[in-house]
Amino acid sequence: MIAHYLPYLKLLLKGVCVLSFIAVSAMFLIWLERKVSAKVQNRLGPMITGPHGSLQSIADTVKLLLKENIVPSGADRLTWWLAPFFVTVPPVTAFLCMPFGPTFIVRDLNVGILFICSITSICVLGIFMAGWGSNNKYSLLGGMRSAAQIISYEVPLLLSALVVIMEAGTLSMQGIVHAQEPCWFFLKPNLFVAFVIYLISATAEVNRVPFDIPEAESELVAGYHTEYSGMKFAMFFVAEYTNLFIISAVAASLFLGGWLGPIRPSAGWFLLKAYVVIAFLMWIRWTLPRVRMDQMMSFAWKVLTPVALLNVLVTGWLLVAKG
Amino acid sequence: MFKMITYVFSGLLSILKGLGITWNNMFRKAVTLQYPLQKPVMTERFRGLVDLIPEKCIACSQCVKICPTAALDLTSAVNPETKKKSPCTFVFNGELCCFCGLCQEVCPTSAIFLNNIYEAAYYKHEDMLKIDLLKVDKYAHLAPKKACPCSKTSETRK
Amino acid sequence: MMEYEELIINMGPQHPSTHGVLYLELKLDGEVVLDCRPNIGYLHRSIEKIAENRSFVQFMPFTDRLDYLASMNNNLGLCLTVEKLMNIAVSPRAQYLRVIIAELNRIASHLFAVSTFAQDLGAFATPLFYALRDREKIIQIFDHICGQRLTYNYMRVGGVSGDLPAGVDALIKEYIPYQRKMLDEFETLLTGNVIFCARSKNIGVLSKETAIKYGVTGPNLRASGYKWDLRKDEPYLVYDKFDFDIPTGENGDSWDRYIVRIREIRESLKIIEQALGGLPEGDPVAKVNKVFRPNGETYMCTENPRGELGFYIVGDGNIFPYRLKIRAPSFSNLSVLSAMVKGLNISDTVCALGSLDIVMGEIDR
Repeated sequence: MIAHYLPYLKLLLKGVCVLSFIAVSAMFLIWLERKVSAKVQNRLGPMITGPHGSLQSIADTVKLLLKENIVPSGADRLTWWLAPFFVTVPPVTAFLCMPFGPTFIVRDLNVGILFICSITSICVLGIFMAGWGSNNKYSLLGGMRSAAQIISYEVPLLLSALVVIMEAGTLSMQGIVHAQEPCWFFLKPNLFVAFVIYLISATAEVNRVPFDIPEAESELVAGYHTEYSGMKFAMFFVAEYTNLFIISAVAASLFLGGWLGPIRPSAGWFLLKAYVVIAFLMWIRWTLPRVRMDQMMSFAWKVLTPVALLNVLVTGWLLVAKG
Repeated sequence: MFKMITYVFSGLLSILKGLGITWNNMFRKAVTLQYPLQKPVMTERFRGLVDLIPEKCIACSQCVKICPTAALDLTSAVNPETKKKSPCTFVFNGELCCFCGLCQEVCPTSAIFLNNIYEAAYYKHEDMLKIDLLKVDKYAHLAPKKACPCSKTSETRK
Repeated sequence: MMEYEELIINMGPQHPSTHGVLYLELKLDGEVVLDCRPNIGYLHRSIEKIAENRSFVQFMPFTDRLDYLASMNNNLGLCLTVEKLMNIAVSPRAQYLRVIIAELNRIASHLFAVSTFAQDLGAFATPLFYALRDREKIIQIFDHICGQRLTYNYMRVGGVSGDLPAGVDALIKEYIPYQRKMLDEFETLLTGNVIFCARSKNIGVLSKETAIKYGVTGPNLRASGYKWDLRKDEPYLVYDKFDFDIPTGENGDSWDRYIVRIREIRESLKIIEQALGGLPEGDPVAKVNKVFRPNGETYMCTENPRGELGFYIVGDGNIFPYRLKIRAPSFSNLSVLSAMVKGLNISDTVCALGSLDIVMGEIDR
């Protein structure tokens, strides 16, 4: 009897693990971001709550949980309520085929990378719903900007992932990691180009500086989540940082060898690589100004997409030449 | 086409330069203070709350006259024995004060001065409106130590 | 046939990039600005009316509240006007001190201007913190000199309120090379940055003719290519004794306004260096409770960090002025905004506004 339910229990357990990992990881990343920004700006950052302010995120979460949930008058109730879920659920789902270790994976889908790329694009729907539902002009502009941005950066992102797929010959995340056993992908010149393109377009995908156009503080106040408060706002925040983790983790598995490392545990290597990418993105965030909407679009379509296409062509040629 | 490529590469280079600056700054010491725990040392001329040494005051009302926001109120009486004028009440409205320090400059006996208390928060609004300058412990709840212009050093950073 | 409707956005008075309480009424077509109307008055404190009920010494703290990022320069403007009206001679040491202090405050103000401009362009907080870190040194110096960090009330008609305390000239001497080094660093971070240039070059172009037509002064006018600086053209104090350049821009775009300010910081450092070297001995302190009964009228303008700050005083023999009019540079500088931003999009509007460097304190007065 128990044996019959065991697979489901196992799945449930995995789900709980993933959810708690996401919560802890988002909190840690928020703390890390505050610390990195403080370091860059010759400040100290949070110091009071816990050693070096490490419990600050927990205090913030408690505060956000206790805050009033304000619904703006004239809001489109249904979209307004649903939007945070549309933003939060896809990144959680993407953990389904995130290879933490050789066996440490929820399900090694044979279309893994495709699944991750497609499921995370659903976020844009949530963002647009938030922008529309808030009945706020700034939010609306933010939502529209976000839709345009994410759709245009999806193209170079997938094209750079395509290069990896061609090189590895498989769509499965584990397969891609295994294919890197002789040599990590970013060490090959054509894949290094793909890596750079991936990083740039992934930064745009998760709305981070220099592509934080949908939430541009100095222009649109807070963009699509201007009107959200309390836990709903926290959900946007968690989604943002989970997305950040996902793009870094995908970058780690596609280009940096995933969980491959000289010594065990393999999950440690995976997390280390992901966090190195995250730290790099944070470092960029606190250095660069924001680009303008049209500049960002022309960069995506006139520079990134042609280069990515060329890269696909060159990779194909190299593969054919190799036989 | 060639122009485009050079633009992209010089752009990348400029971004890398900027990253170098922020990288260097990551290893500099923080310049901020952990405020409630560490407190800056006030300079010698710092202008905090208006304070009075009642014995020195000769009730000449010059400070009251020069105060641009009318934050001071003084009544005086002449002592029949010594024929000296002295203040009876001296009320300072902490809410109106703009900390310009003119009263301190104009005072002939240096009786009125601006002390080094900068944490001028009161629990009640009324308390702030009528601060009796003749009382000795008027700022006792604000500054645990005796208020005095104490430090000359520029070492406000630890 | 589709129907079009313009989107009206009320930007401000509470908005992260309106520099205080400015309220911009933007008429948008998509993201393109069709019309921009600045509404002011949220910070009105009737300072000019207050002046009619205060003696000049009493009015000095109120000038601090005009352009609160350059209080020393405002103090200086009022002092010079009253001195001109009353024919008061000022000791040479006080004149040199005033130059040093005014230029220090110009640097502090420009540092704030360029860093908030970068903030408006989305370089979130980092340039701002670097500039504030350096500005803090100036604030420290002012704290030693006059005992306040923002509202200084330091200058007096006929001199200053106190001589330099011991050790402060060493602080200033220490500060000059430090600021040069840090400014180089700041420029590496921003000036050449490809995103920064792309965002600010050819944005909010202000031609020389338009600038003059609207009465734009200060770095904004110089960025448009017109070499006009009261320190050189109508020298007051002892500015004619120093050797410094007036930086000008070429196109009058936002980037030019930024770079003119950066270069002016360097020129100001040069002036401070020379003034400290030639600081004469003497007593700069003016007596505070001197009574002035001005009769007649006068206008005197000084070069504030934001442009020409003028005081027009009419006296009728009373200790209070009959009328005191303040010509605030930010007011004229803001008026040109709506002409500048037509056809740009929201991001560029924020960029143009940030590059004008307005302070609401002196616009609303």
